[in-house]
Amino acid sequence: MKRNMIFRRIRSALITLLLSSAAIFALMRFAPGDPIDFALGLGPGDMGVNMDMLNERKAELRKQYDLDENIFIQYVRWLKRVVRFDLGNSMRTKIPITEELGRRIPATLLLSFTALVIESVIGLLAGFYSALKAGKFQDGFIRILCVLLGSLPAFVISLAALFLFSVKLHWYDISSRAELHRLWLPAIVLGIIGSPQIIRMVRSEMLSELGKPYVSAIQSCGLPKRMVVYGAFRNALLPIITTLAMSFAHLIGGSVVIESIFNWPGLGNYAMSSILIHDYPAIQGYTLLTVASIIVINLIVETAYLLADPHVRRSESRSLKAAREVRTHEKKKVFN
Amino acid sequence: MKIRTGAARLCAFALALSLLASCSAKEYSSEKPENESKSVAELKSEKASQDNTKLVVAGSEIACGVDPTVYPAADYLLNMGAAEILFKVDADGIIKPSLAKQAVQLDDYTWKIELRPEAVFWSKAPVTAEAVISSLMRSKELDMKASPYLADMEFSVIDDYTIKVVTKSPNTDIKENLSYSQLVIHNTSAEYSYEDINSADYTGMYKISSFEPAMRMTFEKNENYWGKKPQIQTIVHEQIGDSDSRVMAAMSGQYHVVLDIDRASCKQIDESDVSHIVMVPGAQTMTIYLNTQNEALADYRVRQALAWGIDREELIMLGMEGLSEPVITWLGSNPAYKDIKNAFFTGYDPQKAEKLLDEAGWKLSDDQLRYKDGKQLKMLIRTFRNDKALGEAIQIQWRKLGVNASVKHGDYSLMSTAYENGDWEAAVEGWGAYGNVVGLLKTQYAPDGAANYGKYKDEKVDELLKNLAEAPNSESRHQAGVELSLYIAEKSPAIYICPRPQITAVSNKLEGFVPHFRQFENVVNADLRIGL
Amino acid sequence: MKRKRCSIKTVTGLVLLLTIVVLIVFAPLFTDYGPYEVNSDERLESFGREHLFGTDRFGRDIFCRTLYGGRMTLFSSLGALAMALIIGVLLGILTGLYSQTAFDVVLMRLIDVLMAFPFMVLAMVIAALWGSGLDKLLFAVVAVWWVPFARLSRSIVIKIKNDSSVCAARVLGASQMRIIFCELLPKTFSSVFVLSTFELGTLILSISALSFLGMGAQPPQAEWGSMLSDARSHFFQHPYILFGPALFIVLTVLSLNLIGEGLRDMLDPYEKTEL
Repeated sequence: MKRNMIFRRIRSALITLLLSSAAIFALMRFAPGDPIDFALGLGPGDMGVNMDMLNERKAELRKQYDLDENIFIQYVRWLKRVVRFDLGNSMRTKIPITEELGRRIPATLLLSFTALVIESVIGLLAGFYSALKAGKFQDGFIRILCVLLGSLPAFVISLAALFLFSVKLHWYDISSRAELHRLWLPAIVLGIIGSPQIIRMVRSEMLSELGKPYVSAIQSCGLPKRMVVYGAFRNALLPIITTLAMSFAHLIGGSVVIESIFNWPGLGNYAMSSILIHDYPAIQGYTLLTVASIIVINLIVETAYLLADPHVRRSESRSLKAAREVRTHEKKKVFN
Repeated sequence: MKIRTGAARLCAFALALSLLASCSAKEYSSEKPENESKSVAELKSEKASQDNTKLVVAGSEIACGVDPTVYPAADYLLNMGAAEILFKVDADGIIKPSLAKQAVQLDDYTWKIELRPEAVFWSKAPVTAEAVISSLMRSKELDMKASPYLADMEFSVIDDYTIKVVTKSPNTDIKENLSYSQLVIHNTSAEYSYEDINSADYTGMYKISSFEPAMRMTFEKNENYWGKKPQIQTIVHEQIGDSDSRVMAAMSGQYHVVLDIDRASCKQIDESDVSHIVMVPGAQTMTIYLNTQNEALADYRVRQALAWGIDREELIMLGMEGLSEPVITWLGSNPAYKDIKNAFFTGYDPQKAEKLLDEAGWKLSDDQLRYKDGKQLKMLIRTFRNDKALGEAIQIQWRKLGVNASVKHGDYSLMSTAYENGDWEAAVEGWGAYGNVVGLLKTQYAPDGAANYGKYKDEKVDELLKNLAEAPNSESRHQAGVELSLYIAEKSPAIYICPRPQITAVSNKLEGFVPHFRQFENVVNADLRIGL
Repeated sequence: MKRKRCSIKTVTGLVLLLTIVVLIVFAPLFTDYGPYEVNSDERLESFGREHLFGTDRFGRDIFCRTLYGGRMTLFSSLGALAMALIIGVLLGILTGLYSQTAFDVVLMRLIDVLMAFPFMVLAMVIAALWGSGLDKLLFAVVAVWWVPFARLSRSIVIKIKNDSSVCAARVLGASQMRIIFCELLPKTFSSVFVLSTFELGTLILSISALSFLGMGAQPPQAEWGSMLSDARSHFFQHPYILFGPALFIVLTVLSLNLIGEGLRDMLDPYEKTEL
C-alpha cells in the first residue's frame, strides 16, 4: 500500500518533469532570435567578421547542439543525456550546465532560505499581532504598511537599502561573491518584500478561526486566552503552510531584481541572462531544476498537511460519515 | 487520538521553531550589522596596509576566459594590463607602437616590423618574430573577428626580432590593423592551451592569479615584465552587472575605477567626495538607421526631411542627459576625423524638413499628421538596452513634423528579428567608428555591409568606396573617407546623432588615471598610484 | 456595532476608489496639461505649484500623466486580475472538492509546471507568435496569474469541505452546484479576494516589466508601471518623480483592499474582530 503510493508519487513527478521540459523545449524554439548568433557574441558594433569562418562556425555549433535535426529528435537526444545527468554545455560559455547551476544553487538556497525565515517570522508575528488588535489602530497601520510594501517596485526598497548600508554607513560590501557577510541585506530585503502576503494570510486565517463557534465555546468554558489563541493558530496552520511553501518555491527560482541589485550570484540572474541570449541548454537545465524543486516542496507540504490536519486523511469518506466525524471532532476540541 | 497528539507535537515543534527562528533572526538583524561594522573595521585596518597596493575595478562584465580568440576575453585582458598588442591607439587617435618597437614601410606592399629584444612573456620566453607570427596565425585561424584584419597580410621572419609583412593591396595601414584588440600576442607553444589560468602566457605587466567565471578575475604584478614596472601590486576586476549597483559601488569608496556608469547618475557621483567622473566621447556613433526598403523612406527627400527635423542638441539633452555633442557624419566620433564632425550642416531646420516632406507629396492633414494617397506617414523606431529615452526623444521631434512615430523598446533579439523581416522604419544603434576605416565604411555602406540594415544601394557610394579602398596613402584615404561621409550625409540612409558617451567613475584616491576614447581597453597603466 | 465598523471600511474603500476613478475618467478637468506635452526647459522638476508631482525627463507633467495613465493601468490590471481570479477560484474549488482524483492530479501538476516556468519565456513566445497587443498581454499575465488563487482556494476548500455547514447542506440534499456556489464559494472567495487585492500592486508592476518585450504600454503612452520603471534611472538624482504613480498605485490597492476586507466581514459570518 505504502510502496504503491510512493511509486505513484514518483511516477507523477516524472511525468511533470517530462511535460514541463518538453514545453520549455518547444517554446524556446519559437522565441525570436538565433541562439547561435548570441553564442558567438555577435551583436551591434562588430566590424567585418570573416563570413566564411562565421558560417563554418555556425554550422559547427548547430551540429554540436543538434539544431539542424527536427525538434523531436533534439528532445529525445536531450532526454538521453539528462538520464546520464548530463545537461549539456552552455552555448555561450561552453561550461557544462550542471557546473554552472551547481555553482549558483548554494547561493540561491542560502538566500532564499534565510529570506523565508525572515519572511515567516515577520509574517507570523505581525499577522498575529494584527489579528489580536483587529480593528484597532495598530491593525490599520500594519495593513497600510503591507499595501505600501506590496505595491512599491522591488527596486525602490532594494536601492534605498543598498544606498543606506553601502554608501552612507559602509556596512555592506558590494562585490560579486556569495559570502556570508554579504547575505544579511538581500535576505532582509527579500524577506520584507515577501512578508505582506504572509501577514495578511496569518491575520485573516486567525480571525476566521477565532470567529468560529468552538472558540466562543471554549472561551466560555473559561480557558485562558493564551490557550484559545494557540488552538486557533493550530487550526489556521494549514493555509499558512501553503502560502509559506508557495513563497519558498518562488524564492528558489531566484529573484532577478534583488540578485542583480545586490550582485548576488544566484539562479534568477543566471536564468534571466540565459533567456535573453537564448542559451537553450541553460534554460532547459534551469527549468528542470526549478520544476523538480517545486515537486519536492509540494511533497513536503502534502506530508505536512497529512500530519497537521486529520481532515485531509479522511477526505474520501462519505458525507454523512464526515459530518458525524466533524461534529465529534469539534466536540473533542471543546472538551479536551 | 494518536494523530491528535502527533499533530499537537508538530505544532509545538513548529511554534518552537518559529520562536527560535525569531530569536535568532532578531539576533541576526540586530547583531549582524555590529558584526558587520566590526568586520569592516577589521578589514579597514587590514586594508590600510594594503590600500595602496591593490586596485579594485568594477565593470559590467569580465573576461569570459583566458583564451584571447574567444570573445569577449582579449578586451578585458588588455584593459587590465595582462595582455598587449603590437600597436595601440593613444588618446588622440594616433597609433603608437606597444609591444612592437616600430613599423617601417619599405614600399607600397612591404612593411618591416621591428620587435623589442627585451620583451618577454610571463614565462620569460622571449617575444621573437616567430612567436609573434605564430600568435597572429593562431588568432587568424581561430578568431573570426580577428581574421579579417589579417586576411590581407603575409608574415615572414627576417631575423629573430624583425618581421616582414607583405600586403595584398597597396598602402594598407598595417599598424591600424594590428592594433585591433583581439590580436593580443600570446605564447603559442604546445604547453599553453588557454583552457585555464595556468595554461596562459601573455606579455603584460600583470599576470592572472585567479579567475571565477562571471564574478571576478585577479591579477598580480608580473615581476618579469619587460617594460616599466607598475606600482600597484594587485588588481581585482569585479563583475557588477546592474548599473545602479555600479553607481553605488563607485560612491561607496570600495572601488577605484567603475566602468560603464549610467548617464543619469553622473552628477551624483561627481558631487560625492569619494569619486569623480571621467567622461570621454567614445568612438561610437549613435545612429538612427533608416529602412530604405520602406516605400516612404526610399524617397531621399523624406530621409533628408527626417534628418533636418532632428534637433540634436535637444535630443542629447532629453535622451542622453546632455552628456554628448552632436555629430553629423558617422566618422565624426573617430578622433582622427574630428574635422568633419559638423562639416556638412549643423542641424536643425524644421521649415526645411516640412518643405521637403511637402515636395515629396506627404501633405499635412487636419489631425496634424501627414498623408500621401490616403496613406499615413508612419515610423516605427526600434531601440534596445538603455536607448529607450533617446527613442522617445526622436519620436517627440518627428511627431512635430507630422510623422506618426512610435517606439518599440526591447532586447536585441527583437531588433535582429525586425531587421530580418523588415518590420521597422528606424532603429537606434551605435557602431564603433574607430579602426580600419576602409573596412568600417564598407560595413556601413556597402550593399552587403553588416551595418547596412536598410539595404541602401547607391552607385555613387560604391564608386566612392572603391576609391577609398584604392587610395594610395593615408592622406588620400582620409580625403576619400571625408568625401564619402559628406555624400552620405546628403543622402541620409542613416541619421547620425552623437558619440555615445563613455562614463567612468574614478576614485579621488587614484592618481595617474588616463582618459581614453577606448576606455574599456585602457584602464590600467604603469603609472597608476593609490594615494591615501 | 460590528456591522457598522465593517461598513465604514467598505465605504472608505469605495469612496477612495470612486475618487480615483473620477480623477482618471475626467482627467482633462483636473489638469491644464496634456499627457504628451513636452517641455524640454522644465525637465525633472520637483513638486511645485506649476507641476503638482513634478515633471519627468521630457518635461511632461507627472500629475497629468498619472491621471491619463490610470486608464490604461486600471483597465489592463483589473481586467487581468478579474480573469485570473475567476479561473483560479473555480479551478481551485473544483480540485479541492475532487481532491485525489485524476482531475486534481493533472491540474496540480499543471500548477507545478506553471509555478516553476520562467514567465519571461512564456511572454517572449507569446509576443513573438501573436504580436504585442493588449489582449495578448492580458493572456500572458492571466496564463500564470491564476495559479496562486487556485492553490489558495484549493487548500481552503480541502479544509472546509467537511465543515458542519457543508455537510448539513449535503445531508439536506443540496446539489453539488448549490454546494459550490452557496457554501464553498463565499467562504473561499473572501480570502482569495483579499489576497488578490494585494496581488494587484505586483500585477501592475509586472505588466510594466513586459514592456521590455515590446508588450503593454508603448511610449509615449502613460502607464503607472512603466512610469515607475522609467523613473528608475533617475532614482538617486530625482527620486520625487516616482511619487505620483507610486501614490496612485498604493491608493488603488488600498481602496480595493478595504473593500475586500469589508466584503469579507459581510460574507464570512464567523469572522470575529475582537477577542
